[in-house]
Amino acid sequence: MGPYHTMLIHFPIAFWVTATVIIIVRAVSDGWLAQAFDRVLVPFLFLGMLSGIGAYVLGMMVWPPDTLQTSPLGRNHMMAASWSLVYWTALMFMRWRVGPSIWDSTLNRVIMLLLGGLGGLLLVITATIGGHLAGSATYLTDLLRMIGWEVYATFYVPNWMLLVLVILIIAMPLVALMSRRTA
Amino acid sequence: MPRTLSKLLITALFAAGLLLSLMTHGTGVITHDPERNIWIPDELTMPLRLQVAYNDEDILFRYRWPQDEPHLYLDVLRYSDGQWVRYGTSPVGPDPHGIYEDRVTMLVDDGSVPEFSRYGGYLTVGDGMRFFTNAATREEIAAHPVLGPERRSDIRKHLPATRSDPGDWRTLVDEDTLAAQRRAGYFLDLWHWRAHRSNPIDVSDDQFVAQYRFGDSGRGPYFTNWDGETRQPRLMFDPDAVGKHALRWEDVSHNIADFDGIYYLAEDFAVPFDPDHAWQEGDVIPRRVLREPAGSRGDIRVDGKGRFADGQWDVTLRRALDTGNPQEDKIMHDGGVYDVGIAVHRHGTGSRWHYVSMPYQVGLGRKAEIQATRFEGDSPDWDQIATYDITLFYPGQVNWPRLNSEIHAGAEYIRQGVPVKFRHNEAQLAQYGVEIEFEQEIRRQWFLTLLLGVALIISFVMSASLLLGRKEED
Repeated sequence: MGPYHTMLIHFPIAFWVTATVIIIVRAVSDGWLAQAFDRVLVPFLFLGMLSGIGAYVLGMMVWPPDTLQTSPLGRNHMMAASWSLVYWTALMFMRWRVGPSIWDSTLNRVIMLLLGGLGGLLLVITATIGGHLAGSATYLTDLLRMIGWEVYATFYVPNWMLLVLVILIIAMPLVALMSRRTA
Repeated sequence: MPRTLSKLLITALFAAGLLLSLMTHGTGVITHDPERNIWIPDELTMPLRLQVAYNDEDILFRYRWPQDEPHLYLDVLRYSDGQWVRYGTSPVGPDPHGIYEDRVTMLVDDGSVPEFSRYGGYLTVGDGMRFFTNAATREEIAAHPVLGPERRSDIRKHLPATRSDPGDWRTLVDEDTLAAQRRAGYFLDLWHWRAHRSNPIDVSDDQFVAQYRFGDSGRGPYFTNWDGETRQPRLMFDPDAVGKHALRWEDVSHNIADFDGIYYLAEDFAVPFDPDHAWQEGDVIPRRVLREPAGSRGDIRVDGKGRFADGQWDVTLRRALDTGNPQEDKIMHDGGVYDVGIAVHRHGTGSRWHYVSMPYQVGLGRKAEIQATRFEGDSPDWDQIATYDITLFYPGQVNWPRLNSEIHAGAEYIRQGVPVKFRHNEAQLAQYGVEIEFEQEIRRQWFLTLLLGVALIISFVMSASLLLGRKEED
């Protein structure tokens, strides 16, 4: 399944990279081109999600689950791919639910700019690790190493950090709900 | 709560979660665990500088590597409360007193073991290896129909085809097959230099790996100094020759040794142990006695002196190209290419706590990764000999059966004959070696991290969705 995964993965990468560009352009511009870009953002993200799910499923079939989940590179790729898929799907949901008013304030635009950048970074990380697995390592690995991620080491956090994550997962919607109630 | 503040707050919380995860990742699981034979070195890779030279008769390998201080002592008997107590045996990780000798070892092949040129020392790491978490027990080995009567107490390096099932150390093939393999050259030569058990008398041990790790025929460079019946050493220092009966524990345990002094016991200055001597608390007698090796086992000598200076070991080993022992040594010829795998023990560690190299090809007058330089006369001018900087790495508990099993994504590549260097580098293999020692723990932690990462993303986007579409009230 490796070659088919490699073939299909071009599609979500293309859609999500384009989405990143659209978000950046729209965050800094109200011009007609930026607005036209924004109108295709949700469809692009939807197509990215569909092709992403396809590529993800094929990727899970390249090796048996035990093999994939025993390799540090395999684990990291699976993790980054899972996060990328969920991240861009969630972003699609947010843009669809909020509508064009998502660009209303400067703060909103800054947040969207950060989200777009983070999505692009996730994509780069996923593709870099995937390249390693396919035998095509790039120098981007050195960049990741510079920011503290050794791709040959499994990415996991200690128990206390898992607890912190649980607290954050609960705290963020609580803050949002409290804010809406007090509005 | 003002909406702008809420947006900033959830963004900050999300960013904090990501940053903290990045800063803390990879911690909390990997730790020393002697109960499971696990000890992880601080440094996972180390450099080694190699030069190779040859003339009509001999080949010389010069090894240089850095470390904090030399470890020259090994396996000693300390007089304590009227008993001779043993210290400096092969421990899990470094010896607590630093009493374990430095070593450099080199596996050599001439192409008779083709997998060795592609996978190096991994080939010799089979099932049940000593000091692995799942090491075969003494009782299991004693019950084996061949290894039991041979009085083996552990499973050491061996080649895969010496077992009918390489994944099971018990499945040793029959004696005739083993003999045929040896005649066909199916063994690896093992040059084994030790800072205590060979270097003081300017020799290296000469061994080979087939169905077990053997010493070559002949007399080895050391023997054991222990009388099991009297529970005393058999020999002690000759006070007339060296001015003392024993070493002192203060020197041994603080790793204080002088290359020009006496830190070892050799036949030349040993006399029968005198139980009536007024032994003092803290007197120390080495449990190994050095002697001039003979026969095939004495083929390899130290050229000049193996010395530690300016933060690095400098050891040169010399051997005849043709030792005349083709079933124990790999005979070399001008114009030949040979495979080597080098390992170093340092920092007071023994057994599997070493750093190993990828396999390298050494060419004698032929193009290869490492070019041996031909010289005339008895000794080369090392300034004129090509130098190669290679990286050694901690290999962890990766064994050959595992590499060929379905659990290894690269097993198919091994079946296709793809060399290890094509897909892996030293840092990567070291990291993998460590992670395999904590396989279940890391896998569990990784899975939880993956799940909570997904939940964090969903939580943030959901929260942002609740806030981003609203007009600012504040």
